[in-house]
Amino acid sequence: MIEASSQLKIAPARSQSSLARKPYDRWLAPDGVSQAEFYRSTDGFIIRFVGQAEFHLGERSDGGFVVTGWPAKGSGERVLRTLYRNAIQPLIGNHSGGLFLHGSAVQLVRAGSILGGAIAFLGLSRSGKTTLAGALAKAGHPLITEDAIDIDIRADGHWVRPRGAHLRLFHDSARHLLGAEASGDTADEKCEIAIDDRFPVADEPAPLKHLFILGKDHHADLAIRKLSSAEALPAILPHSFVLDVEDRERLAAHFVRIADLAQAVCCHALDYPRQYAELPRVLAAIAASTRTASV
Amino acid sequence: MSAHITLEDRFTISDEVVARELNGEMVLLDLASGQYFGLDPVGARIWALLSERPYTLAEICDRIDAEFDAPRSRIEADLVALANTLQEQALIVAKAA
Repeated sequence: MIEASSQLKIAPARSQSSLARKPYDRWLAPDGVSQAEFYRSTDGFIIRFVGQAEFHLGERSDGGFVVTGWPAKGSGERVLRTLYRNAIQPLIGNHSGGLFLHGSAVQLVRAGSILGGAIAFLGLSRSGKTTLAGALAKAGHPLITEDAIDIDIRADGHWVRPRGAHLRLFHDSARHLLGAEASGDTADEKCEIAIDDRFPVADEPAPLKHLFILGKDHHADLAIRKLSSAEALPAILPHSFVLDVEDRERLAAHFVRIADLAQAVCCHALDYPRQYAELPRVLAAIAASTRTASV
Repeated sequence: MSAHITLEDRFTISDEVVARELNGEMVLLDLASGQYFGLDPVGARIWALLSERPYTLAEICDRIDAEFDAPRSRIEADLVALANTLQEQALIVAKAA
């Protein structure tokens, strides 16, 4: 097992002044706005989440990292910790030979109580991954992870590790799934829902059986199409975490790990209308496709 | 560029490319640009031959002609077109004779 080795030190909030150098990589939102910028430092990396937080990743001699995080002015420690957990740890994990994907996963319950394999949802931000996972969890399928999927590559398959009992939802999804008002955040930010008896939670790893890659068209008709491994590989890659896009050796190894995953797991393209009234029909179609499709 | 490629030309695969065959198809990742490319089963076979050693395109045509059911003229035209595309994308590099 490969463990992402890092420690977080939290520093006082500071403003995000411009840096002298240019970023070697960026994460862009679907509208082209820069969400995160990646810079090199003398001993590692600086990752700036614009308007939210900044992290310095100092490489240790053992290959691990010492991470220092600064909330941006007007942001806070909670945002910093969420970014560390859902972005920095996955970046370091993949850099260290692990396999993290951006998405959510649940464990399917068959025949009432028999725990089946895991199904995962990958997609861009605000594409509905967590809403689908939350709706399935509300229907009795234990939530394994939300926002970052930590995959343990074993001889007997790809296993999804549980990452703690919490669910981060946008307010509209929280209202729909929980019938409750969440407070404290703006409508454009997710609110963190404490998991309680409303949602079953998996506390053991589960073998990943199905991957659903969510389409970009939020008005599309419901359609699920099984992907060939060759179609799945480039579809999965954008939803993984890469710390250093210029590190050819690591990038090639990462490509191989994703290719192995695409070959081992049944992958589907999922399009559906993002309307809460349609969720029951979407969940039924997802469940049906997991019964009929195999690798 | 395609006008300059002939069946006597030889190519090698760029060091910046990593490829993976998946159920008969080939997926290529250009490590320099981060772009992905897909090749159908015939393209995948051509890529595999390019990976073996710098055959001439004529030699690759001979192999494809023997393995796939298609007119020789079409194989030659498609191979030159594919070589042109791969070269334009810097996925293969012309090798000096």
